[in-house]
Amino acid sequence: MEMKTAKKRGLSFYLSIYKKILAQDLKSKMSYRADFFISTFGMVLTNISGFITFIILFHNFPSVNGWDYHHMLFLYGFSLIALTPVQCFFDNNWNLRFMVRSGDFIKYCFRPINVFFYFISEVFDVKGLGQFVFGLGTFIYAWAHIGIPVTVVTVAEAAIFLITASLFMIALMNFAAATCFWIINSGYVMVIMFRFKDFAKYPSSIFNSVFRFIFTFLIPIAFVAYYPSLVFVTPDHVPLLSWLSPFIGSLFFFLSYKFWMLGVRKYDFTGS
Amino acid sequence: MSNEVIVMKNISKQFKVLNRHEGLKGSIQDLFSRDYKIIKAVDDVSLTVNKGEIIGYLGPNGAGKSTTIKIMTGVLEPSAGEIFVDGRMPYKDRTANSENIGVVFGQRSQLWWNLPLIESFNLLRNIYLVPEKDYRNMLELYRSLVDLEPILHKPVRQMSLGQRTLSDILAAFLHNPGIVFLDEPTIGLDVSMKARIRELIRGLNEVKGTTVILTTHDMGDVDALCKRIIIIDKGRKIYDNDIEHLKSYFGSYRTLRMRLGDDSWVEQVIDEKKTDVMHVMQEMQKEHKIKDIQLQEISTEEVIRKIYEGGESA
Repeated sequence: MEMKTAKKRGLSFYLSIYKKILAQDLKSKMSYRADFFISTFGMVLTNISGFITFIILFHNFPSVNGWDYHHMLFLYGFSLIALTPVQCFFDNNWNLRFMVRSGDFIKYCFRPINVFFYFISEVFDVKGLGQFVFGLGTFIYAWAHIGIPVTVVTVAEAAIFLITASLFMIALMNFAAATCFWIINSGYVMVIMFRFKDFAKYPSSIFNSVFRFIFTFLIPIAFVAYYPSLVFVTPDHVPLLSWLSPFIGSLFFFLSYKFWMLGVRKYDFTGS
Repeated sequence: MSNEVIVMKNISKQFKVLNRHEGLKGSIQDLFSRDYKIIKAVDDVSLTVNKGEIIGYLGPNGAGKSTTIKIMTGVLEPSAGEIFVDGRMPYKDRTANSENIGVVFGQRSQLWWNLPLIESFNLLRNIYLVPEKDYRNMLELYRSLVDLEPILHKPVRQMSLGQRTLSDILAAFLHNPGIVFLDEPTIGLDVSMKARIRELIRGLNEVKGTTVILTTHDMGDVDALCKRIIIIDKGRKIYDNDIEHLKSYFGSYRTLRMRLGDDSWVEQVIDEKKTDVMHVMQEMQKEHKIKDIQLQEISTEEVIRKIYEGGESA
């Protein structure tokens, strides 16, 4: 009997598949024009209102714990950009628990590709792009006002720290979503995790030591913006954790992926 | 040996289920409880499937059909026993196994909901790394078997249930897998659609030599497609043989209907192993005048029902 081993499916295979799914998904989204515009408009409004609250707050408290207005703005912009990938690329995690409950999730297990990739690739949320543009504007404005030099090194650093910072939020949501393989009311876990992201835009130094510990080591929200931002905001004394954040982020993401896949393997898929 | 595409030896699958208690106090108890009960979904099942067969895999709801299929497709790991699908253990080698199988779950589409069918096909072609030429040939074959044009450019979400099922079956065969699992493919379809689906399955099986494992509650599917059936109940295999043998499995039942002198019909179910038809008629003629008779074979459906209802005594 001829024994075939699995065909090779490397990174370029997955990238090309993702590109194709994304293109198809965008095409079909455009066909729901009203839905597309209304949800984009809603996202812009959400961002504007959040921004206005922020401005009012910081015009009244010009400095928080040594962070002045533009530093705060930098942190705010940084967090918005870092929170974009979880919104754009990993939004299907919100549907995971419904899929698992109803049994529809099983369809992701029949294809010869990575189950996590297959599931996540199915939804691309365009609304996140508005947030990205908004965050980028704020980030560049604050960057210029603080007077951070624009060199190859600083720009490369910004890219690396932004990407790895986003891994923290993605990982948190992966962990939260994957709890549905074990518990029934996993929706609460997701909502709570998602709420935590609001703390990302404040310097962790304003919290007391208990919360600082929690946001650093248990639910590492402080890595979404605070620690990586210190590299740019206070270049003279950057804590070790800031330099380590790309590595911790990658590890944290990897663990969340493993946890997610463990859930798939352990789940019973009861019912037909 | 090389003809055997699926070999299952003493496969069992157990699930651990928490014994839930009632009420608030019970719920709190459950939080800390280690009080599990073991449910045997599949219990010591052995079977062999040969290349090119269409097998009807039957059993009442909750008998363990889906669990078996999930084990064969590599989604679930068996608790005990050995399984080889095309020479590999599906659970250990899920990716390689999925390249060689196609799966259709009747009520849930596996296609991209918002995409026209042709775009779903395109994505699948890329995912399964199907060579361009094979893909074209397959589409040609599809065109010769079904009327493809009305559905090819339609998004799946706009399709009728029948069109969607058809599409799902076509998608499952697209990468020319050796084995296709069809879980209740005709559920909820009208009579003519059922017939078309059955024709399609038979056509693909004949042309491509694909092995088909078909679970269904529709005996029409079984009569139209399967030579061999396997019945499982409460996790155990209780029948594995030709469909012809099935009718005589619990006795050769036939129904004798007789029209009597007063034009009323009486019915008598006869087990031909115990008594023969002529004998029953002679006995009847001693007391009644018989004007007409009809002899009815028992249908597959009735035999299956007898088996499901625990009909060993019947």
